[in-house]
Amino acid sequence: MTLPDGARPFLAVRGIRKSFGPVEVLHGVDLDLLPGSVTALLGENGAGKSTFVRILAGDYQPDAGKVELDGVPVHLRTVARARELGIRLIAQEIADAPTLSVAENVLLGAWPLRAGFVDRPAMHRTARATLETLGANLPLGAPVSSLRLGERQIVEIARAMVGSSRCLILDEPTAALSDAETQRLFALVRRMREQGAAILYITHRLDEVATIADRVVVLRDGRVALDALVADASQPSIVEAMVGRSLAIRHDSIHAAPPPGRDLLQAQGLSSPDFEDVSLAVGAGEIVGLYGKVGSGVPELAAALFGATALKGGRIAVEGRPVTIKSPAEAIRHGIGYLSGDRAGEGLLGARPVAENLAAPSWGRLARRGWIGAAAERRAYLPWYGRLRVRSRPDGAERITTLSGGNQQKVMLGRWLEARSRILVLTEPTRGVDVGARAEIYQVLRDLARQGHGIVVATSDYEDVTAMATRAIVMVRGRIVATLAQDEISTASLTQAAGAGALDHAVPVAKGGVHVPSH
Amino acid sequence: MPTSARRPPFWRRAPESAALVTFLLLEIVVFSLGSPYFLSWANWVNILTALSIAGVLAAGGTVLLIAGQFDLSVGSGVAFVALVLAMAAPALGLPTATGLAFLTGLVIGALNGFLVTVVGVNALITTLGTLAIFRGLTQSIGGGRNIALTGFDWAIARPVLHVPVAALVFVAVSVVTAVVLNRTVFGRTIYAIGANATAARLVGIPTRRTIFLAFVLSGALIGLGGLLSASQLGSTSGTTGLGLELAVVTAVILGGTSLKGGTGTILGTVLGLLIVGVLSNGLTLMNINSTWQQVATGTLLILAVSFDQLRQRLTQTR
Repeated sequence: MTLPDGARPFLAVRGIRKSFGPVEVLHGVDLDLLPGSVTALLGENGAGKSTFVRILAGDYQPDAGKVELDGVPVHLRTVARARELGIRLIAQEIADAPTLSVAENVLLGAWPLRAGFVDRPAMHRTARATLETLGANLPLGAPVSSLRLGERQIVEIARAMVGSSRCLILDEPTAALSDAETQRLFALVRRMREQGAAILYITHRLDEVATIADRVVVLRDGRVALDALVADASQPSIVEAMVGRSLAIRHDSIHAAPPPGRDLLQAQGLSSPDFEDVSLAVGAGEIVGLYGKVGSGVPELAAALFGATALKGGRIAVEGRPVTIKSPAEAIRHGIGYLSGDRAGEGLLGARPVAENLAAPSWGRLARRGWIGAAAERRAYLPWYGRLRVRSRPDGAERITTLSGGNQQKVMLGRWLEARSRILVLTEPTRGVDVGARAEIYQVLRDLARQGHGIVVATSDYEDVTAMATRAIVMVRGRIVATLAQDEISTASLTQAAGAGALDHAVPVAKGGVHVPSH
Repeated sequence: MPTSARRPPFWRRAPESAALVTFLLLEIVVFSLGSPYFLSWANWVNILTALSIAGVLAAGGTVLLIAGQFDLSVGSGVAFVALVLAMAAPALGLPTATGLAFLTGLVIGALNGFLVTVVGVNALITTLGTLAIFRGLTQSIGGGRNIALTGFDWAIARPVLHVPVAALVFVAVSVVTAVVLNRTVFGRTIYAIGANATAARLVGIPTRRTIFLAFVLSGALIGLGGLLSASQLGSTSGTTGLGLELAVVTAVILGGTSLKGGTGTILGTVLGLLIVGVLSNGLTLMNINSTWQQVATGTLLILAVSFDQLRQRLTQTR
């Protein structure tokens, strides 16, 4: 522990463990949050950060461990209980009521009442005052669905500020904010620190650590890998704590730069409401990392390449032949496979067996004169079960939802291999996947590239790019801002390109995430 | 293999229909004690015959609900089809009128399918609308009279083991639909769409076309159900098929098809039909008023679905 002498933590967490199904994601985490102090929590995707903070917010229950508040053991059994104790979480995903007004959302769950009816003037007064502390001037009566993403994030932050919060947890709050909004948020965090609040600040960005935090804690594979004062921790030591053994994977990938083969997929001047004039080419044996943060248009571009959303303009050629891709069915016919970043919402056939999930795009080929049984699907599943090392039954007869995230993702990938897709467009392929499965997925994708597939990895996770890309394209606000050759790819170069682009291109941010309509 | 190391508890291994079979057996035991006539062959033929129209329609209802859709227009559709037959028969002759009536069923299904997949109206609202429209049309065109049909009694003939054709049609439709659901690409896509329509589209499934076809299938069964009804009763009126949509939905849900879509079997639906059919038959044999049978059926539905919720909670806590 690195507690200054005499300081007593406001929130003391000891030995927190948490499993999902057979997978333990937190293996005994200790953490102290001091009053009047900002602690930065870092870690790679899948390190357990989000699980950990959701336990602190009362959203998840730990399997073991205890939480003390001011030295008194507390049971954070619900979100309401945690709020009551002064712990507030600003979650990464926006969870507002889109059709309700800004004021109603700021005070969601705490609407002031008079004689049993909502006291609208009081509600607006409180909401306005709270938003003003954030330096935000939003239309109180407008539905939040009419706001920009960054403004909705401000509403989320404002909601956490209502009432007395002694402990504020921010889960990557700046991802969707403009620079000015970020500066105002930092000013607010500093003010709350002066007022004695204990603040936990989760981020991916090392520059933010130096700017805002007093202490830095790094989680890796569900354990605390570093706990130090910011003044005592060098940037390389933080990165090493975050990346740990997976550094080895990274070097492994360097030797395998295959000579780029013929172009499998070429796109020229693609445009949509979310991106503009984007051109890219993917050759056989290439893994193109398409890197961009929220609002960059990267996931939207991936969806458009697959025909899941409409293009406004541009040309696409597959293996040199011009094609029109108006639907996923057409993309599949041209040998393109696709993973959505929203695996549960747009990938899994939740109630169906594993083998059926894998076989779905190939039913037409597996069927004999329109007839197909579960047996044919199980036969199709078996080779992929072995090659992708899926931890399931060999016949894939259990429901897909009983598998862990990493194994689900392998099945989603196997789906397109069984469909004999040559071109794979993969959005956030390692999202919600534990560290071991992540390394396996990287290995599988590198092998596929070596066998002549052309792969586009559309991601906001720089590790996906540094670990396997043979070329990187960085996008900011719907435009390509940099193209990096394999030897130029690094965490620093990616972050810099994405950050520099953000300042150079004052194009309005695209609204919302990518949404694929169901019809 | 890592996952097969531990044997799952019995309720995870038992097929989902086990609870339904237990329920049905329980009913059979109780009623066979209550009435000596209950277990006779003639009585079981009665039960099956009484279920035949609802059973034919429930096959389509199962396919639709697996795909996450509803068809509430089946009851009034049956009445309208029977009316078309009864009114056309004197002018066109029975064979042509039969074809026209069946076509009417297909058109009702295609209309529902068009409204749901092309216009984009929710299936519940669409078929609630067509339910009212075709009931209203039947009553205004038919004028509330009882229209008799002569020479159209094929459904009550008993070709084998004293089982009427109507019941045989019910069995045949169930078997064919079960095979289609389990063994064809069309059946697979129905399950996939119900499990996750967006994901289904992203694996190349033509979701709208498939849903349209499912409504047309339901329409074909409405046509068949209307012909069965006209033949069984030898007449038709404004109240023909009243409440059939509820009997169908009850059986399908009782049979374990999830309201969320993606799961369900024809076997389950047939068990659901039998549970309701046996209950009302048994209560009748025990001289319990038919109004009380409604109370019993409603209670049964809620009990069965609560039981299923409990089972799901038990199987998911792992």
